[in-house]
Amino acid sequence: MEIPTETQPEVEILNKLMKKTLISGVLIGVAFALYHNFALMPEYQGLNEGLSNYILKSGLNDTGSLNLITAVLYDYRAFDSLGESTVIFGAVSGIVLILSRKMLPVSSKGLSFIVKRTLGIMTPFIALFGFYVITHGHLTPGGGFQGGVILAAISIIFSIVYGSAFDYRRYSPQTKTALETGGALTFLGLGLAGILMEGAFLHNLGFLTAETGTLISAGSIPYINIGVGFKVGAGLAIIFYSMIQKTFEEDF
Amino acid sequence: MEVLEIILVVFLVFSALMTVRFDEELISIIFLSIFSLILTALYLLHKAADVALAEAVIGAGLNTAIFMSAISQIRHGDSD
Repeated sequence: MEIPTETQPEVEILNKLMKKTLISGVLIGVAFALYHNFALMPEYQGLNEGLSNYILKSGLNDTGSLNLITAVLYDYRAFDSLGESTVIFGAVSGIVLILSRKMLPVSSKGLSFIVKRTLGIMTPFIALFGFYVITHGHLTPGGGFQGGVILAAISIIFSIVYGSAFDYRRYSPQTKTALETGGALTFLGLGLAGILMEGAFLHNLGFLTAETGTLISAGSIPYINIGVGFKVGAGLAIIFYSMIQKTFEEDF
Repeated sequence: MEVLEIILVVFLVFSALMTVRFDEELISIIFLSIFSLILTALYLLHKAADVALAEAVIGAGLNTAIFMSAISQIRHGDSD
């Protein structure tokens, strides 16, 4: 809310002073909180000792995941990943709330025939690569987030090349919302299963572990990967769909 | 390895400067995606394959598409 300019000068000065005091108070509070955060951190112990060395040495035994980055993301620091996916959920909710008042299919004619046919041949391979990156997250580089963005790219390419009405008919926003919620619920359900079976939230489920290096190993990490993949992919596709909606309206 | 890294860093700085330099939004976006591509190669050179995959997919792919759609929206607004 803006302060009207015709108020008495004393009131204006007082308002400015109050604003400045508030801003500096908030800044000092944030600085204080940050200082305490950094003070809690352990000191740098060199590469051969400390936390990173512990993860490098016993990460494979603890989690059964060959890709140690995925092991950190979805086992040691799984709670952080839950927070990240909550951030994505918030972003999707905000963008949909602001940008798309109604989920109506608005379309263009799309690009030329040659582009459409080429994309028709290429799409299954893009989808296969996306699913490969998601399901092999604990064996090779990649994981739920990267693979999910590749899956979202399919929906984005459909919107651009075939027009957004095609994308609406194939994967309607309701389907995408259901996929996103399902992914988030998978993540949370595995976390609750960790409480029931192992005694801690998002603890790796020990009874799912198989021989290291096979596709179904590493406890609950592959399943969390699949959940996060669908969640991220559907979320980013929803964001792009609600942004593109009005874009091609006049291209008929 | 050292020479390749220096070349890549020089091109990285060059593409970053070109991104800021042009007034035309389309050229800026294309240079931004080139920036992401070079950054991907650098990440891979330093053996951070996970980050490289994320950068390639998000920086070069998703960002470009979203910026393009934003640009076409701006142009439509101008013509009215």
